[in-house]
Amino acid sequence: MTPNASAASAPSRRSFLASTAVVAAAVAGGVPLLSACGASDSGSGGGTSQGKGVKKVLPAFVANNVVTPDIPAKNGSALGFTSKLDLATLKTSVPKKLGKGGKVSIMSPFWGSPPKSDNAYYKAMNALIGVDVAWQNQDGNTYDQKLGAVLASSDIPDVVVIPGWNMGGKIPSAIINKFADLGPYLSGDAIKEYPNLAAIPTDAWQRSVFGGKLRGLPQPSPYVTGIVPLYRKDIFDKEGYEIPTSADEFMALCKEITNAKAKRWACLDMKWTAFQAFGVLSGSEKPLGWNLVDGKLINRIETPEYLEALEWTRKLFAAGYVHPDAKLGKSAATDPGPKFAAGEFLIYANNISQWWSRTAEQATQNPAYKIWGMDIFGHDGGNPSLWAEQPAGIFAFISKNASESVIRDALAVANVTAAPYGTKEYMLTNYGVEGTHYTVKNGVPTKTDQGNNEVINAYVMVASPAATIAHPDFPEVAKAQVEWQQRMGAFTKKSSFYGQMITEPSRYTNLGNDFEQLEDDITRGRKKISDMQQAVSDWKSKGGDQLRAWYQKLLDDNGTATS
Amino acid sequence: MSHSTVPRSRTEADTTGKSPVASGGATGTRPNRPKAKLSWRLRFRRDRVLLLMTLPAVLLILVFNYLPILGNIVAFEDYDPYASDNGIVSMLHSPWVGLENFQQIFADSAFWSAVQNTLVLFFLQLILFFPIPILLALLINSVVRPRVRALSQAILYLPHFFSWVLVIAVFQQLLGGAGLFSQLLRQHGFDGLDVMTDPNTFKFLVTAQSVWKDAGWGIIVFLAALSSVSPDLYEAAAMDGAGRWRRMWHVTLPALRPVIALLLVLRVGDALTVGFEQILLQRDAVGPGAAEVLDTFVWWNGVRNQDFGYAAAAGLVKGVISLGLVLAANKVAHLMGEQGVYKK
Repeated sequence: MTPNASAASAPSRRSFLASTAVVAAAVAGGVPLLSACGASDSGSGGGTSQGKGVKKVLPAFVANNVVTPDIPAKNGSALGFTSKLDLATLKTSVPKKLGKGGKVSIMSPFWGSPPKSDNAYYKAMNALIGVDVAWQNQDGNTYDQKLGAVLASSDIPDVVVIPGWNMGGKIPSAIINKFADLGPYLSGDAIKEYPNLAAIPTDAWQRSVFGGKLRGLPQPSPYVTGIVPLYRKDIFDKEGYEIPTSADEFMALCKEITNAKAKRWACLDMKWTAFQAFGVLSGSEKPLGWNLVDGKLINRIETPEYLEALEWTRKLFAAGYVHPDAKLGKSAATDPGPKFAAGEFLIYANNISQWWSRTAEQATQNPAYKIWGMDIFGHDGGNPSLWAEQPAGIFAFISKNASESVIRDALAVANVTAAPYGTKEYMLTNYGVEGTHYTVKNGVPTKTDQGNNEVINAYVMVASPAATIAHPDFPEVAKAQVEWQQRMGAFTKKSSFYGQMITEPSRYTNLGNDFEQLEDDITRGRKKISDMQQAVSDWKSKGGDQLRAWYQKLLDDNGTATS
Repeated sequence: MSHSTVPRSRTEADTTGKSPVASGGATGTRPNRPKAKLSWRLRFRRDRVLLLMTLPAVLLILVFNYLPILGNIVAFEDYDPYASDNGIVSMLHSPWVGLENFQQIFADSAFWSAVQNTLVLFFLQLILFFPIPILLALLINSVVRPRVRALSQAILYLPHFFSWVLVIAVFQQLLGGAGLFSQLLRQHGFDGLDVMTDPNTFKFLVTAQSVWKDAGWGIIVFLAALSSVSPDLYEAAAMDGAGRWRRMWHVTLPALRPVIALLLVLRVGDALTVGFEQILLQRDAVGPGAAEVLDTFVWWNGVRNQDFGYAAAAGLVKGVISLGLVLAANKVAHLMGEQGVYKK
């Protein structure tokens, strides 16, 4: 979930995640794909970013106290900003241009239609940074397919943005072989030359270590799960539905809601909520699925909770409470927004950023509409037992063939894009030029058509400040989002390999590939729970037990990030 | 240049047609008849302009069809495209594993399940899909009024130009669990029917989609063949008292036979290619157990899981089987007295 969670931060990320990326990620492989993504392989024997020597390559942390958030971060939440925007009080975080006027090409995933390359937003950003950035925007939905080919060629762009969910297969090996060690520029006190980068939390930098070297520029994200059970609060209030506090109550509520004849179902696929409610270890990245229990490493697929969660989800499907569209699976699933707005289903689990983006999307045409997030319930009615996600999910890498001046220029770009909320650099990066790309009325910035066309993706993909949620247009949503994160954060534990960037040895790369598919087969009634038990025992004999030993050794050698 | 005069006279004689031969024994002593006796150089000289004209196409085929065949080498490697600075050099650096990928594939139940799905789909489409364009062509051919004919042709061709995404979306809106048909059933007190996510009927669904989309397009070749049938034959048959059905059986169908045989051979050669995009889009709706075919198997393992060596091996197996099939089908066509795709 890391990739999406990272997106939940800034208002600009609205344009990026809200309208596009989350939908894209959800449809094309974000939410449902998560168990299959994650760093996995390296051509060499694999490794972790936790090794003893790794501490030395990490940059120093220098807090950037430009603006004080209205809601400080707690329990792994983002920073919350709920006040109005006042352009006059914006701070400057990059007093002098760091760019040396060089040319830097950046390849990045893009969701939507890319604007012309000489548009006003790119020009303004390049002028502010002092670098001539040439964007190579690629369709984000099929980015994994292009990425593999580009990295296999001898001619790669100066900077390549790679989301964690695109790091399957042999991509980690490509990252180690093709991208520059940024240690000489950023490790220790060297980073102080780039104050906004120095304010990125150390957790996120630790995740940027690949093959023992600092290679990535991270987008930090909250470690609280990013998947929220979202529901139609307006209809809930009208019909008197109550928020369920246990798995049984949820089931009963679904029965009450569902009326297929009237074209209303209770929910979409609730597998991810089920995993949370039953306390299943995270599936968003392979290393997060391992945890030390009574001195032995256990994988999520071996736990009884995993099977219970699948069985519960299967019952939801079998009882007919799930909207038929959800049976189609991820590649055929359409954007849930319109049918949710039409009331065809009332609950779905998705990224927290949709809480805001759906609100904004419907605000004018559908004033009664109210989307809200429900607290994750413990399956037995008690507190849920949640597992932490990774504290950074999207990374920018600089080619190892880039000259020192290109690397310096690329870092100058990152130093501007990582400016915190409340600065001029943040506004330009996330909103564009005032008057051209957005207007401010009563302290609420609104993008113009030109802003909507030009200020999406691109610069926000390079590096970003500590996770931030700021929605001046819907401050009550921003507040609720951060508070939800803080409440859930209180129930969140970190599993043994939290915070590390681990690459598994290549012979295990494809070991767990089929589990996500099998989960979907079971919940939709095409396979049985016993098939999963068989698959797990096959997994053990085909290398799962060896993989366990490999992780055990990693743990013995390096310890955990939390201890 | 002194040599050139002799061959030129020969070629001229040759290209002017059969006249020297036809003129009989008087000229028979001149060695100008059998082409086989012309030396390679002479034929080259004669056809050089034609050869020059084919050159661009040959180059394209060489670069894009034949050169990539060398890439099959990764099927015998544990290929890591990132092992070096570019993918081709990586081929030389990746460890050689011999037939290991093939051994794994033959032991992989998912592969055999994909083979089975592919073959079942192929036969279903052969039986349910292949005859339909022929019937449609006969139907259209019997329409006399040109405007009606043009209109129905246009309507039949149109779906071919829709993308699969669109076609599947339309099917989903009509036949999906929340689609028109299901809601209609529910409104009348029945249970909804979700055709789109039923793995048991998936193969029929896929075939139905193909028919809806491409049957109309398939009639073009048959219509062309039909238009070449001389009206005299029909008139003569009618004079002899042949009715509608007998004329179709004895005149129309024999005229279509070579085309049918040709298309059948081509279809068999393509047997293991049963629609990649269409099936990939619906793979998750019914699960790989019902929807994995060889092409999606290769995609899943190669592009999605980046297990390139494994996927290349699966693709190679598919290619070899397809080659065998096309040779066999061609042989059968020859035995039936048809031209087939090629003849020695």
